[in-house]
Amino acid sequence: MMLSRVADHQYWMARQMERAENLARLVRVSEEMLLDDETLGRGTAQEYWTPVLGATAMEAPFRTLYPEPKCGDAARFLTLDLRNPDSILACIRQARENARSVRDKISDEMWAEINALNMFVTSAEGLELLERFPQAYYEKIISSSMLFDGITDATLTRDEGWNFLQLGRLLERADMTSRFLDIRSQTQPIAGESALESLQWGAVLRACSAHAGYRRVHGGEISVEGVVDLLLFSNEFPRSVRHCIRRADEVLHDISGTPTGRYSNTCEKITGALLAKLSFAGPPEVMARGLHAYIDELQLQLNSAGQAVFESYVLLPGEIDRHFPRGTRPDSLSDWHREQQQQQQQ
Amino acid sequence: MILTDYRGANLFDELVDSTGKIRPYYRNVADKLSGLGNEELSQKLRSLELLFLKQGITFTVYGDDKGTERVFPFDPFPRVIPAAEWEQIEAGLVQRITALNLFLYDVYHEQRIIKDGIIPPEVVFGASHYRPEFVGVSVPKDAYIHVCGTDLIRDQDGRYLVLEDNGRCPSGVSYVLENRAAMKRVFPQLFSASGVRPVDTYPADLLATLRHVAPRENPNPNVVLLTPGVHNSAYFEHSFLARQMSIEIVEGRDLIALDGFVYMRTTRGLRQVDVIYRRIDDDFLDPQVFRKDSCLGVPGLVDAVRRGNVALANAIGTGVADDKVTYAFVPDMIRYYLCQEPILDQVPTYLAWRDSDKKYILENLPKLVVKAANESGGYGMLIGPAATAAQIEEFRQKVTAHPRNYIAQPVVNFSQHPTLVDGGLEGRHVDLRPFVLWGDSIKVLPGGLTRVALKRGSLVVNSSQGGGSKDTWVLAA
Repeated sequence: MMLSRVADHQYWMARQMERAENLARLVRVSEEMLLDDETLGRGTAQEYWTPVLGATAMEAPFRTLYPEPKCGDAARFLTLDLRNPDSILACIRQARENARSVRDKISDEMWAEINALNMFVTSAEGLELLERFPQAYYEKIISSSMLFDGITDATLTRDEGWNFLQLGRLLERADMTSRFLDIRSQTQPIAGESALESLQWGAVLRACSAHAGYRRVHGGEISVEGVVDLLLFSNEFPRSVRHCIRRADEVLHDISGTPTGRYSNTCEKITGALLAKLSFAGPPEVMARGLHAYIDELQLQLNSAGQAVFESYVLLPGEIDRHFPRGTRPDSLSDWHREQQQQQQQ
Repeated sequence: MILTDYRGANLFDELVDSTGKIRPYYRNVADKLSGLGNEELSQKLRSLELLFLKQGITFTVYGDDKGTERVFPFDPFPRVIPAAEWEQIEAGLVQRITALNLFLYDVYHEQRIIKDGIIPPEVVFGASHYRPEFVGVSVPKDAYIHVCGTDLIRDQDGRYLVLEDNGRCPSGVSYVLENRAAMKRVFPQLFSASGVRPVDTYPADLLATLRHVAPRENPNPNVVLLTPGVHNSAYFEHSFLARQMSIEIVEGRDLIALDGFVYMRTTRGLRQVDVIYRRIDDDFLDPQVFRKDSCLGVPGLVDAVRRGNVALANAIGTGVADDKVTYAFVPDMIRYYLCQEPILDQVPTYLAWRDSDKKYILENLPKLVVKAANESGGYGMLIGPAATAAQIEEFRQKVTAHPRNYIAQPVVNFSQHPTLVDGGLEGRHVDLRPFVLWGDSIKVLPGGLTRVALKRGSLVVNSSQGGGSKDTWVLAA
């Protein structure tokens, strides 16, 4: 048993951290690919970023903020722009704010790591790194998030709070992995450029730290089917959607005490159904349906799983009439509320 | 650290006496500190500041859109209080909180002290934190102020004077504990053979104090800490104390009042709450009773308190006791309720509400410190000798318009303590805020928070106004 608000903060702390990490993975790999593209003499910076922004559902806000995008604007928008509620910086800030709200529930080391990352991203040292060695900057964010995960694993009591934290991380990871797959499906296929295609799928694998995992199962040849098989359907690869959903389903059952294979609330019902779907299908089904359409549907289900967690454990039954789409967290306080919080202490 | 250059000034210096000799109880720590090189010292301080920042031991600066968090500046030269001196302070604080709690019980019940003509009715009823709604309402164990932070200063002769009582939601105790932990970590050698009394039992003592007022006969009452939220400047402290006591830290939205009971909302449904250590003002507690626009409170909370189903610490309405006008009458309260002479002196106070005093205040503004009766944090204050003509004029109008809201005191050039400034030692004004707990027994945390005014010559020690702090050592013998 824990405070509902605390469960919510733990969930979002982990989820925002995971989101920041995955965005960093995305930007890192995209910048790398951009260099490849330039060497191959095709594509402009702007063209390349369009699918990335599309896959993360950020294209419209980007167009609004940058009506005439210049080189580097997309990376800035994804990295440091606080006007974008899903930028890496915004995610880290929110993760840290959530951590601050549960400061008494997490280990000192977890707090120190998230706090240090929050300071690093806008420190003089960090900004200089971003300027001179952007790859190293994004790698630092990725490794800090992974370190946070490791510290959590090594220091946090396995109670309900741990479960909510895992849930946030797993659902976000599943969501982002599916988005990585979608980037490639958003580019126009160009006939006879299979070399370029496998180069891009290779980049998707790298973004998911899945290169080695891929080679073990499918060998050196990179194919769409192989990548889809690994990133959507692998039961063993820890960033695959199926793996994440299986773990999320276990965690949910651990929270409620319901035996697996049954369900006691909507989120268990959704993850259970999703797990069955991913367990009894494979690349042929995806290809028949079309990768983009398949992923779209998957993301809708993942969204409703997240919403169901909120409705089952955070809101009281009478309050379930609010819907919070991606990027609009209910914790954004009104200025008035904030002002009241800032009352003078004696 | 070079101590030989350090000189006292024309006021009480904590380290050296009027002839410039180091006071005997400082010799041990002074010897050890002078053994440290300046370079080593500043290096250690830098690492300490980084540690504070990394651990988020910070306070939020208001009026700053970015919500900047700052480290509370820490000075490594500890303040030392010898055992006999502390014994006096402790006795004085116990006497004072006893009188204040008797006073609060009295004004919310029979009001004998008013009927007997000791305190004029307008002082009590005119205090903005007086809560007429609570007359006749009983609180568990008749305890009103469970946690008190009393500010002390030392005058030119080294006499401890009470500057004010903070009996609503005093803050700062987490810095006492964190400063001690930091000192032990960075300067372990200073502690050997120094006989410093430990401070780390405070969280356990506070928890016992809170459990003491639990309304149900329950061996394991549910105690929670109610915070305004993460944007409050003292949020670090709220979180720190909750963690140390292993209790839940809650916001208003986590609580719900149903049929006169208070519950917290958990992932497993509702769970009853017995004691609330609240760190929000009365005004925000319950929008049904106090401020209607409060987003921080719990509708129905006050009703549950009235019915005795949940206890609040501190109780509602304690602000009438730490009002700066009431302050002037505390010595009379001590004589009236306890038939004792006050052990601790206090600063002479002029009440603008009295016509003769008002005349004196208005004629002597440039010489006086003028304070709003209900403000805290160093806000709403005029320091006459340092003020501009315009500021003085502003206060002249304020005092004339709302005499009940203002008091004035002579400027006390309170004591200074050697403080590390730009690698050298300089005297800076310090005050002391000890913390007193009123539970099964009365416990005074040995020492308290020593705040330093880091600006040269400044008499304002508040963190929001450029103050810092240092570790405070009460010697065991």
